[in-house]
Amino acid sequence: MSKIYVRNLTKTYSGIKALNNVSLEIESGEFLVLLGPSGCGKTTLLRCLAGLETPDEGEIIMGENVVFSSALNIMVPPGKRNLGMVFQSYALWPHMTVRDNVKFGLDVLKTPIPLANKRLDEVLSDVGLGPLGERYPSELSGGQQQRVALARLLATQPPIFLMDEPLSNLDARLRMDMRVELKRFQSDAKATTVYVTHDQTEAMTMSTRVVVMKDGEIQQISPPDQLYRQPANTFVADFVGMPRINLIDLTAKDNLIHSYANDDLHLDIGWAPGCSHITVGARPEDISIINGTAAGKEYFKITAVLPNGPETIVQLTRGKTTLITRVGHDSKFVEGQTVDISFNVKALNIYATKTGSLITRDSVKDLNAFSG
Amino acid sequence: MLKFFDFPITASSRFKKVVTDPVNLVMLILLVILAYLVIWPFIQLLIETLTWGDRDRRISPDAVPGEFTSFYWQQATSGPLSRKMLYGPLLNTLITGITATIMALLAGGILAWCVVRSDMPGKRWLQPILTLPYIVPSFAIALAWEAVFRSPKVGGQPGIYEALLGMGPPEWLSYGTFPISITLAIHYFPFAYLLVAGALATIDSQMEESALISGAGRLMTLRRITFPVVAPAFLAALILTFGKTIGQFALPFILGAPAQFHTIATMVYANLTLGLDALAFVLAIILIGMSLISIWLSNRFVGNKTRRFETISGKGFRSREIALGPWRWPIFTAVTLFAFVVGVLPLILLGVQSIMLIDGFYGLENLTKHFWVGQSNPDIAFGEPGVLHNKIILGATWNTLKLAFISAIIASVIGLVIAYITVRRAHNPLARALDQIAFIPFLFPTIAFGAMYLTLFAEPVGPIPALYGTFTLLVIISVVSRLPYSVKTGVTAVTQIGQELEEAAELAGASWIVRFRRIIMPLSSSGVLSGMMVSFVGVMRELSLIVLLITPSTRVLMTVGFGYAEEGLTQLSNALVLIVAVLTIIGELILMWIGKGKMARLREKQS
Repeated sequence: MSKIYVRNLTKTYSGIKALNNVSLEIESGEFLVLLGPSGCGKTTLLRCLAGLETPDEGEIIMGENVVFSSALNIMVPPGKRNLGMVFQSYALWPHMTVRDNVKFGLDVLKTPIPLANKRLDEVLSDVGLGPLGERYPSELSGGQQQRVALARLLATQPPIFLMDEPLSNLDARLRMDMRVELKRFQSDAKATTVYVTHDQTEAMTMSTRVVVMKDGEIQQISPPDQLYRQPANTFVADFVGMPRINLIDLTAKDNLIHSYANDDLHLDIGWAPGCSHITVGARPEDISIINGTAAGKEYFKITAVLPNGPETIVQLTRGKTTLITRVGHDSKFVEGQTVDISFNVKALNIYATKTGSLITRDSVKDLNAFSG
Repeated sequence: MLKFFDFPITASSRFKKVVTDPVNLVMLILLVILAYLVIWPFIQLLIETLTWGDRDRRISPDAVPGEFTSFYWQQATSGPLSRKMLYGPLLNTLITGITATIMALLAGGILAWCVVRSDMPGKRWLQPILTLPYIVPSFAIALAWEAVFRSPKVGGQPGIYEALLGMGPPEWLSYGTFPISITLAIHYFPFAYLLVAGALATIDSQMEESALISGAGRLMTLRRITFPVVAPAFLAALILTFGKTIGQFALPFILGAPAQFHTIATMVYANLTLGLDALAFVLAIILIGMSLISIWLSNRFVGNKTRRFETISGKGFRSREIALGPWRWPIFTAVTLFAFVVGVLPLILLGVQSIMLIDGFYGLENLTKHFWVGQSNPDIAFGEPGVLHNKIILGATWNTLKLAFISAIIASVIGLVIAYITVRRAHNPLARALDQIAFIPFLFPTIAFGAMYLTLFAEPVGPIPALYGTFTLLVIISVVSRLPYSVKTGVTAVTQIGQELEEAAELAGASWIVRFRRIIMPLSSSGVLSGMMVSFVGVMRELSLIVLLITPSTRVLMTVGFGYAEEGLTQLSNALVLIVAVLTIIGELILMWIGKGKMARLREKQS
């Protein structure tokens, strides 16, 4: 019903491209998260969808309707796009009660009063604000204000939800609870949702797909597990995951097409990416520590042990190479200990050092088939 | 799938988008109206001084009405009367202006330091009293001075000075440079005080403390740290105060005219009453020129520096009071005495004078309620009844309140709309132009502004009727003259309203009119309300702006009071000015009360 198409969207602010030729399809009912560092263009994209910004070039289609097109000179104003938005600051009107805040959208739509009142009661009790209707926003806690913003979005039952870092002003515990609730309201309403955040945990836990952006360009669009397991380039690999991924620059060794090495370590990746300089992306959990020094040749020294609840983060150093690994909370490593390591070779991602983009076994095979 | 076309937006469709946006439409309408009410009058005034008028045949046989002439400018600058008409008054304006400014700055600066930085007691109630002389009409201070130092040589009844000392005061003490400078200084020192106090309040005492820690002595700290930080504000206050003094009309008129002492501003009025309109306009333009130069100077030398020295920072800001030690009480006594003499005494004098049957005769048997509640008596004051029975005065009171009320509301609403456009369309060059046009009236000395409107609305132009002599004209000029202030208030209010609050309403489908009415107006109401009150008080005590435009049917309290003062009916003019002073003080009290309410609400919000 409410599929969203974004095509070749470009938006420039005083010479800087906030959006550079962005194209994207959002499925009906999908929970799409826009993720990226600040200044990557994710909020600009959301505001273009809302109609609060006018892109320079491109086209946006919502359902059957072209809501923006530079070519056809169409710019549908925000109020006519039939969507709801939760702002980062909530943007609650401080001079109106909770009830009036939520009712505003129904007023504008000229909903008959009895119907509007019924809907209001429904929405307010849904979000758990039933008894607080006559309060003013300044008399509510942060979490309650967040619920008012949510109720305001739900009141008119729009088929599209837009959310601009809605949870960033809440404390950590409340944020966890609200994630679950937001997700519930979204799936109940079956609304196509675009959600902006810079918090990757939020992106991973809530989304059906994640769009990672950088400098106004889309880096990767994929479901959260794939985003983590198979980042499309070194930027995404580095941005997603906590603690950060280990990115190790290696050079092809002699004539062995599977073997790569740098000054400190040597790795056989088991297949041939066809590239002399590669960057290996190894998640902390894909490096294991082998206690004792007899088994392998790769001796690393433990330089930091950081226990963190269920897991322990261990930092290893050898020469210029520093690695981070994740071990169980019951492991008993100490600083200064010398250990051997091994890589879970199947889980490693290989990137061309020059371009930073992912090389997969399949793509190499295709390439070989093509040229051969 | 929909197809994607790639061609650029055409110019014509862009234009369509521009004019259908209601904000742009409002902006264009306001631009046209303000250009007509602000820029055109000035051009008109200039044209009047450069063309022959209809009645100028009697002045020069060559006069052809409507033709270009430099006759008036030559007359004013090099004619036989130029000494009396231009150079003498110009010198007087400069001398009184500069003297008054220096005195006002000294008094204002010292008081600001005492109130802001020292541990002087009684600050809370001293501050409002210290601002009183600026709140009451300048005219009131002039009348109070006259009550004390009236000179018998000019005729009329003796003042308090003569009654007490048995001999008349020397003329230099009664009229001319000295009393005008002093009373101007008394009227304007609170203005300088407020500007300097504002700058002093931004000094973080940690700046001074770190100088002390570096080994600097207290004097060196004052000289090297405190003074340089305040200097730009001090200089700005200096120039702005000077700019204000030169436009003063009523005060130098009361204390100068009896002794044939004229400033440029009073000369504009004098020439107009003599029917020498074009010459008056020449002087008005010269006055505007002086005002422009002073404001240009203040921007040139001060504008950039002030911004560079802005020390606003949220964290760790501390303002430590400096202990006066044994000087605490002597300084307190001196400040209190000063506040009493300049703030309260003039009003008491006016009050006492207004209940004396025969002016200048001091004794209990001479007291009367006649000038307040008496019926018409042909033996007293040419049969003018007491203030509370006088039809003219009651009418004028009604006119005053009506004018102040209507003008304040219109000025605030238009100011808010202009402020909205300025803030939200900051990148639109037309919006910036609108902002600047709305500021221009600030540059016109009020009497010159009045003179402009005299020429503009004397005859009907196209669909606009001849508004001279109508109440509407008074409203228009009052509104336009308040715009620079109401736009500033509006900008502060609108800037505080987050853009998202409006965007949320936009997303709900609310049109611009609905958003302005339901979001912007209620959220800016407290700021705009206090701005409205400021305008209300400002219009109420305004004299020089409208003195040239008043006709018997549109009299307001200030012009009636001025008329009585001109006729020598001291008690009545005193009573009237006292009424205006009390009304303005009530207005200021309401304003303080509104301000407190707002502060309380803000605190509530933060907790």
